[in-house]
Amino acid sequence: MRVHVEFLGVSRLVTGVREIDLDVKQGTTFRDLVRLLSTKYPGMIGDVIQPDGETLQYPNALNHNARRVIQESQMDESPSDGDRIIIMSISAGG
Amino acid sequence: MYGYSGKILHIDLTTRKTRVETKPEEWYKTYIGGVSMASRLCWENIEPGCDPLSPDNPICIAGGLFAGTPVPVGGKYGMASKSPLTGFIGDSLSGSWLAVSLKRAGWDGIVVHGASDEWVNVFIEDDKVEFRDASHLVGLTTTETEETIREEFGDDQVRSATIGPAGENLVRMANVSNDGRKAGRCGQGAVWGSKKLKALSVRGTQGVTVADPETLLKLSYDILQAAQGPHTQKYRILGTSSNVLNMNKMGLLPTRNYQQGVFEDAELVSGEYLHEHYKAKTIACAQCPIACEQVGHVKEGPYAGAMGHIEYESLYALSSNCGVSDMEAAIKSIANCNELGLDTMSTGVTISWALECYEKGVFTKEDFKCEKYPEGFEANFGNGEAVVTLTEMIAHREGYMGDLLAEGTLCSSAQVEEERATETYKWAMNVKGLETPGYDARTLKTFALGLAVGVRGGCHNRTAAYDPDIKGQVDRFSVDETRGKLAKSTEEYAAVYDTLPLCKFIRRCFTGKADRAGAWPAIAELINATTGWDFDYDAVDLIGERAHTIKKAFNIREGWTRENDALPWRWQHEPMEEGPSAGHVVTDEELEYLKDIYYEAKGWTNEGLIPKEKLSKLGMEDVAEEIGV
Repeated sequence: MRVHVEFLGVSRLVTGVREIDLDVKQGTTFRDLVRLLSTKYPGMIGDVIQPDGETLQYPNALNHNARRVIQESQMDESPSDGDRIIIMSISAGG
Repeated sequence: MYGYSGKILHIDLTTRKTRVETKPEEWYKTYIGGVSMASRLCWENIEPGCDPLSPDNPICIAGGLFAGTPVPVGGKYGMASKSPLTGFIGDSLSGSWLAVSLKRAGWDGIVVHGASDEWVNVFIEDDKVEFRDASHLVGLTTTETEETIREEFGDDQVRSATIGPAGENLVRMANVSNDGRKAGRCGQGAVWGSKKLKALSVRGTQGVTVADPETLLKLSYDILQAAQGPHTQKYRILGTSSNVLNMNKMGLLPTRNYQQGVFEDAELVSGEYLHEHYKAKTIACAQCPIACEQVGHVKEGPYAGAMGHIEYESLYALSSNCGVSDMEAAIKSIANCNELGLDTMSTGVTISWALECYEKGVFTKEDFKCEKYPEGFEANFGNGEAVVTLTEMIAHREGYMGDLLAEGTLCSSAQVEEERATETYKWAMNVKGLETPGYDARTLKTFALGLAVGVRGGCHNRTAAYDPDIKGQVDRFSVDETRGKLAKSTEEYAAVYDTLPLCKFIRRCFTGKADRAGAWPAIAELINATTGWDFDYDAVDLIGERAHTIKKAFNIREGWTRENDALPWRWQHEPMEEGPSAGHVVTDEELEYLKDIYYEAKGWTNEGLIPKEKLSKLGMEDVAEEIGV
């Protein structure tokens, strides 16, 4: 299946790309996707992805189809073919 | 008493006399500083029902508990008065060296009463107060005013807060400026202008005595180290402007006066684009190791030389929400607001209201006549030059349109309704008269509640209820029984930071976790090392509830009723047509239910009033006597 990944904020700065399509196996989880991205873009380790290569570094988050942010407890769920995954760093205030 | 002087300075501009008020330690334990102490000073010094722009509405300034100490991001102060935009409590915060100077001058707070006949710069040097002629400063921008005062004293340790032309002209969304930072919202600058107070300057020469300097230094050092790590990285590199694309992707970016939530040119006005093409530098508030403020610089073209302090809230208001995709025009509009002394958020949202009025035929080109464009101009969405020009017209109340918009969306729409029998209130985007922030609340249902019940009106910073919605901790599209407690929890959480005050961007730097369990024990340690008190988790938590309660009490005394907890008509009746947030509104049934469960969570009556016992438990017996039920 194919998922569309968009990079915002720091993730865009460290990868140098805005968006990519990834062909992945059916059943690939969100955690698998993060692992895949950390391999494809090692520059994300540290700034966006934690050194374990599978956990996002706060305040980065995975937004699924612009409707929900994937929580840590949902990282082993799977996206569907054609889904959008947006890597964003969410915060506000000051 | 450690950490405080125990003294509040009262300055009367009418009589040019001063007096010193001492406060007991228990008062400080209850109100701490920042917005809570400033609001309490409003409660004590403002006669209910007064005109916000009359001499009867004092300016109440409260310092920060950690100002002048090594505690990172503690260089902030709170300012409050009755807001000329809302008629309710108007509280603002600013990071500023003024907060540090105030502390070093030996004052925990200042209350400025009355009004001067002539323009004045009040200069405080430790316990001396001087009323200096400010007539030569009139008409100067905020930066020019600060620089002129600094040159006059020949001392860069004299720190000033100033107003620009907007404040002088009693523009209701005028702000107060210091070191390039702003006490931005609720129209404090207009209150200063009504008193002919052009500037407040302070030179403090004393130290700040804390209870346990060694521990405070150690705690501060640890926070400082953490503040250089990943917890604050986003702010340091991109600042808050990176929210433009976040909100756009979720269909929440206010676009064309909140008619849409997706802006087709969002990339061109994004934090990422700013970083790549226009970023000149980053700057920091007093005592801040993060330095989140991104300064955008236009190098060529019609706006060459413009330098604006670019925050997300300024950017959405003066770009996407006005349909403007020209980053240079947006920077120029923001720079104008910074220099002329206007709140970027209220200004942008008021302008977007006017642009919609123009596109719907309520206004004509002739309504926009000004010196620069004697025949008027086409005020369509997307016309960056129109937005730039309107910021100037508002600050100077120039022409029909400048004078009208200077009143803000609530008053302007009421005036137009009277003049032209229209229903422009339907797209006047404000809550209680304060223009709404950069998050469309139609599909942020917890946030919608937080805004509706917000004591200062349409403000994201005081409610913080967008957090669980945007981060996916709840379903942002629907309403359930948890939202009353959530709205209470988030607003009181924010109030703790706004009262100490500490910048919220430090929230993960204590233990790595931003929640109460992660932050409150560490904050208690900071408080105790500063004051010698024995605050714990619960005592820190009470800071937020008390801060929120004193502001609510002020509003009740001013005549607040349940009907005032409302949302803009558009968010309740007009769903967006496109994007991830299309098709939703906050219905009347949803809003009334949310208010019910919020009041219940707060321990208030169904009408939103505060029981006497509740106030007494918070140590506010005198407040209970006046407004408790």
